[in-house]
Amino acid sequence: MNNLKLNYTSLSFLPILVSIPLGYQLLTNIHFGGFELFEEFLISAFNPKINNEIIITVINRLNETILISFLSWLVSIIFGAILGILSSKIFYKIFNIPNFFYSIIKGFLTIIRSIHEVVWGILLMQIYGINFSIGIIAICIPYIAVNSKVFAEQLENIEHKSFESINQINAPKFSSLLTLIWNPIITTFKNFGIYQLECSIRSTVILGLFGIGGIGTSIFLSFQTLNFRELWTYLWSLAIFIIVSGSIFKKIKFNKINKILSIFFIAVFFITILFSFSYFLYYIFNNNFENFNYFSSLFKSSSDLGLLYFLKLILETIILSLLSTGIAISLPPLLIGIFNNNTSKILIKIFAFLLRLIPTPVILLTLLTFNNPSLSLAALTLGLHNAGITSKLLFTNLDSQDKKKYIAMKSLGISKKTSWLLGLFSQQAKSYLAYCAYRSDIIIRETAIVGVIGSVGLGWQLRESLSSFAWQEVILVLIAYSSIAIVGELINGKIKNSLT
Amino acid sequence: MNNTILELKNISYKYKNNLILNKVNLKINSGEKIALLGKSGSGKTTLISVLNGTIKPTQGEVKLFNKSFDELDRKQKRKITTIWQDLRLIEDLSAEQNVNCGLLAENNFYFAIKNLLNICSFNKAHKYMQLCRLHNSIYDKKIRKLSGGQKQRVAIARSLIQGAHILLADEPFNNLDPKLITTIKNLLLENVDKNNTKKSPKTTLVSLHRLDFLNDFDKVIGIRDGKIFFNIKRTNLKQLHLDKIY
Ligand SMILES: Nc1ncnc2c1ncn2[C@@H]1O[C@H](COP(=O)(O)OP(=O)(O)OP(=O)(O)O)[C@@H](O)[C@H]1O
Ligand SMILES: [Mg+2]
Repeated sequence: MNNLKLNYTSLSFLPILVSIPLGYQLLTNIHFGGFELFEEFLISAFNPKINNEIIITVINRLNETILISFLSWLVSIIFGAILGILSSKIFYKIFNIPNFFYSIIKGFLTIIRSIHEVVWGILLMQIYGINFSIGIIAICIPYIAVNSKVFAEQLENIEHKSFESINQINAPKFSSLLTLIWNPIITTFKNFGIYQLECSIRSTVILGLFGIGGIGTSIFLSFQTLNFRELWTYLWSLAIFIIVSGSIFKKIKFNKINKILSIFFIAVFFITILFSFSYFLYYIFNNNFENFNYFSSLFKSSSDLGLLYFLKLILETIILSLLSTGIAISLPPLLIGIFNNNTSKILIKIFAFLLRLIPTPVILLTLLTFNNPSLSLAALTLGLHNAGITSKLLFTNLDSQDKKKYIAMKSLGISKKTSWLLGLFSQQAKSYLAYCAYRSDIIIRETAIVGVIGSVGLGWQLRESLSSFAWQEVILVLIAYSSIAIVGELINGKIKNSLT
Repeated sequence: MNNTILELKNISYKYKNNLILNKVNLKINSGEKIALLGKSGSGKTTLISVLNGTIKPTQGEVKLFNKSFDELDRKQKRKITTIWQDLRLIEDLSAEQNVNCGLLAENNFYFAIKNLLNICSFNKAHKYMQLCRLHNSIYDKKIRKLSGGQKQRVAIARSLIQGAHILLADEPFNNLDPKLITTIKNLLLENVDKNNTKKSPKTTLVSLHRLDFLNDFDKVIGIRDGKIFFNIKRTNLKQLHLDKIY
């Protein structure tokens, strides 16, 4: 036991080593100018502003947030399912279409998915101006692609034999297709779709910080004016909203579908499709013709980015992702392991909830009150936020795990921490790491958000290039982003496969 | 009476260098009741999959109504129905929904949706399930919750409801108790039930291991190592034939 063995357990802790360079850079960048602000920020958490006026604002802003997130969720789940079907093998088998199209659609969706909704949002806002529907579109683009991947993965589980037997009935092809995919689609919708709604709310809030509207915009404005008490009113009401909506959705059961309800669902389905299409057409033909000039300016603008500088940006983005992933992987098990008692557990849970709740830009801005902008600070922010998410999963898994081994070890006189590590965590380590591999896909994409605010990596460059209308640079940055994300996804896919 | 409806001409099927069907020639005439005999692994299931067009043979021709499968339209292909050895039901749908899948071919897309939403009429499905002695308490149960014999009969009901001309049944008596076996055998082989309505297809090919049932068939085919050893009238069947394939 003396020498360190590389197993799943140690691999869950090793990434914490990133905190050495990270901590070093943070320490050298510390400044004391903003400590009071930070203090005020923390204290305001317990003393949010409550009066009639702000409650009305909260309600109005939440309504906007709900509208944007619900609509984008609805559209992205429906089109995600449709594109998921179009990018699943079963579709091509039934309709006898060459697999060539399958690869094209899959590739297209991978590229769309590799760019974060905030980037889409900033991009679209620059082209079309700030607009309520930009928020919906910006969320829908990557979400449709993400959802389609999830749906397609489930559809790949349909057995070839079921396909053969339905095929042998020689029914109309659409009937066969629908009958085969029905259950995987419904199950995915139930298990994943509901969770996606929460993601959609978070994305709306973040886009709000960039001016789309809703509670996110209020959060940003109150932060900018250093109105921390107001800020916390918004944050807490958002928290209440997320918790309440989450528990309501958990309660909804789709098992007892009756005739009226099914007709309602079908109607929603088709109306959403119709509306989306007509809106899309309206947008293209009616709205912003003059803005197409931007596209022509793409060819006029030139790029001032030197190759070396560009490579530095890419490297920064990669390092940023790695550092954040390190924190997101190792911090939760480390904290839970070291502070292994009930009070600490509750505190960690609350802390994790706050890290999930507060949008990353706000976390970053808060940290900036006592630290100069640096890559490490951005990494810390992103890492902490994602640690909030990974720790939720870890807690859920640990709580539902059989504790026999842990109790047996403790009764043998082995210390509580060691028993926790070897008796509880070691059994979770593998699946935890697999989830973290999936999470790091998302972290790579999210580097854009902290990059834009924290002046690091490609995210920052994107903002600079956009504000100077240097469209060639924008395209270059997007390609770089997309490539990093796609390569990251490939590597993570390999890791995930070896873990499951 | 000798009109051939399904024909295999010199069929071979190779899978990863294994010759699973070896130069099979076979004619099935309308109205024939054929028993397909052969050891486990002799190629019965493979032969049936070639007959219904699921497996494309490596060599040779399959002709349904004198046309190859590619030349047939959906309506003609529908004249064959199959009861698979491994049933191939849709596990997450209910028993009655699975039986209704047999009706997908003669109905439009709207019917498929209504079936999945559980808002279509199941009367016909129930009739066929009753014929298979399925109790009405299992009608709306998911397939994964049924017993082996119940699943077997759901698969049979799904096949019979299609009203096809040709029935290919791959060991349809699996998992059934003796009394049920007799019922199902009569159902599959008799053209007329007690109300004088036709329920089962005219032409039937059944793979089976029960030699005591052979009296109900007109013809017996013996297959071994992917080769047809005999294809004769049941009345001509001798022990000698059986010794060759078992
Ligand atoms: N999908 C497959 N992949 C590889 N080999 C197969 C496959 N299906 C069948 N075989 C082989 O083909 C041969 C014939 O199999 P088949 O299933 O047709 O036999 P069978 O007569 O139906 O047997 P049983 O009575 O056990 O059902 C066997 O040797 C089997 O191993
Ligand atoms: Mg078989």
